[in-house]
Amino acid sequence: MKKTSIRQALAAIAATLVGSAVAHAAGPNKTETSILVYSERQRVRATEGSFSLSKQLQNNYSLNLRLTIDGLTGATPTGGSPSKYAQTVTRASGGKTITVPAGEFPVDEYFKDTRFAAEAGISKPIGGETTISATAIGSSEHDYKSLGLSLGASRDFNRHNTTLGMTVAYSRDVINPVGGFADSYTEVGEERPDDRDSRLARFQGKVKRVGDVVVSFTQVLDRKTFLRVNYALGRSSGYHTDPYKIISAVQPADSVDPGEPTRNFYERRPDERNRNAVYAELRRHLAGATTTLSYRYFWDDWEVVSHSVDAGLAFNVSRQITASPRVRWYHQTQAKFYRTFLIEGAAFPEYASADSRLAGFSAVTAGLSVGVPVNPTSKLTLTTEYYLQRGDTSPPADYGAELPFELFPKLDVIMIRLGYAHNF
Amino acid sequence: MTKRRTIAIGCFGAVLTCLAAGCASTGVEVWERDILARPEMQVDHRAHDQAIDDHIYFSKEASSGGRGGSGGGCGCN
Repeated sequence: MKKTSIRQALAAIAATLVGSAVAHAAGPNKTETSILVYSERQRVRATEGSFSLSKQLQNNYSLNLRLTIDGLTGATPTGGSPSKYAQTVTRASGGKTITVPAGEFPVDEYFKDTRFAAEAGISKPIGGETTISATAIGSSEHDYKSLGLSLGASRDFNRHNTTLGMTVAYSRDVINPVGGFADSYTEVGEERPDDRDSRLARFQGKVKRVGDVVVSFTQVLDRKTFLRVNYALGRSSGYHTDPYKIISAVQPADSVDPGEPTRNFYERRPDERNRNAVYAELRRHLAGATTTLSYRYFWDDWEVVSHSVDAGLAFNVSRQITASPRVRWYHQTQAKFYRTFLIEGAAFPEYASADSRLAGFSAVTAGLSVGVPVNPTSKLTLTTEYYLQRGDTSPPADYGAELPFELFPKLDVIMIRLGYAHNF
Repeated sequence: MTKRRTIAIGCFGAVLTCLAAGCASTGVEVWERDILARPEMQVDHRAHDQAIDDHIYFSKEASSGGRGGSGGGCGCN
C-alpha cells in the first residue's frame, strides 16, 4: 500500500463524502427520458421514445424500470435481386405488388410497425458483498411478441475492488406474420391452399426460445481506472426464418441474360443458433476527461464472426457543458447460408437467406453528445450520430459473370437523440 | 466452433486467474475512491443510451450481446 499522509487521506475521504452528499442532496434515484429520430437514406425511418427509472425502495430493494415505444415506417429491402429491367414483384406478405426501377434493390415500401417494450427489475443487496436481481422483459408488435425473465447475482471481493457476476435469462418469442406463414422455399405469389386446416396452420404463431448466460468480471485497477470482462453464451431454438424476406433465383452465368431474376422464393434459416461473445471494457478518468474503450468478439454456429471496437471520451467544454465524441468500428463475416441469390436450375442449398444483415460488411458509427445542466438535478443531452454500412457489392466469386448493378444495399443512417436525465 | 469456444473460455479463465491472483494488491482503499465515485465512472452510467444502441445494432447487424443487457425480443433480425 502506497504511503499516504494523514492529511491527504482525510482530504480524500472528505471529497468522497462531499461528492456523495451532493449526489444524495439530489437523491439516489434517477429518471431518464429520451426521444430518438432514426433515418436511413431512402429507406426506414423510426421514432423511439424511451423512459428509464431507477428508484430505491424500502428495505434496501431497488427498482429498475424501462419503457420504450418505437414507430417504424419506410422501405426495407426484401432480399430480392436487382434487375437490368424494371420489375413488378409481389410482397412477401401477399396482396400488393411492388414496382422496382431497373438496377435497384426491391424494397417493400409498405413497411410499417409499432413496438412496445417494457423491462421491470428488482435488486437487493445481501450482506455487504452480494447483490441479487430479477428482471421481467417483454415486447409486443402486431406480428411479434416476446416475454422473458432474467436472474442475476454478483459478489464483491477484495475490499470491493473485484466483482464477479452472473446473469441467466430466458425468453419465449412468438411470431405471426401479416398474411400468415408461407413454407420456406415456396415461390412468392404462388396460390396457397385455401382449405380450413391449411389456413389454420398458416396463421398459427411460431415460437423461438432464447436462453442466455453472461459471466462478468469487474476489477478496479487504480484510483482512476477499472476493467470489465464479460463472457456471454446464448442459445436459441425454434423459428429463425424472417417470413418477410425472400431470395431471388437468377439466370446462370452462362445464360443469355446472366443474373436476371426469374422467380422469388421465401428464405429458409436453421432452427437453432448458438452464440458466444467476449466483451472487454476499460474506463479511465484522466486530466478531467473520462475515456472508455471497449472491444467485443462474437462468433456463432451460423459462422458469423464479428469484431466491435468502441471508443468514447467525455470532457467538460466549460464549467457547465460536457461533450462526448464517440466512434465505433464494426466488421462481420457472412453467415454460412447467406447467398446474394440462388441460381435457376441448380439445387437449392439446405438453408439460404439474402438478408443483407447476414452478409459480410463493415460499419462505422461517429457521434457527438453535448450535455447541458438545466438545474442542479437535471441535465439535457443532444446526441447526433452517423452510421454507415458497406459490404461487398459484387456477385459471388463462383458466379463467374459481371453484373450491371451492385449486390449489397449500402446503408447510411442519421440518428438524433434528445435526452433528459433527472436525479431525485 | 467448439475449438474457438474452448480457446475463449481458456483465455477468459486465464484473465480471471491472473487478475484474481494479483487482486490482493490490485485496487484501492476506501479513502481512494473519490474519482471512482463519480457518476461517469459507474459501470451502468450509460445504461439507458446503451440499451437504445444495443437495440439499433441488433436490428441492423448479425451479432448481439456481450454487455449483459437485455431489452425484449424483436421481429427485426
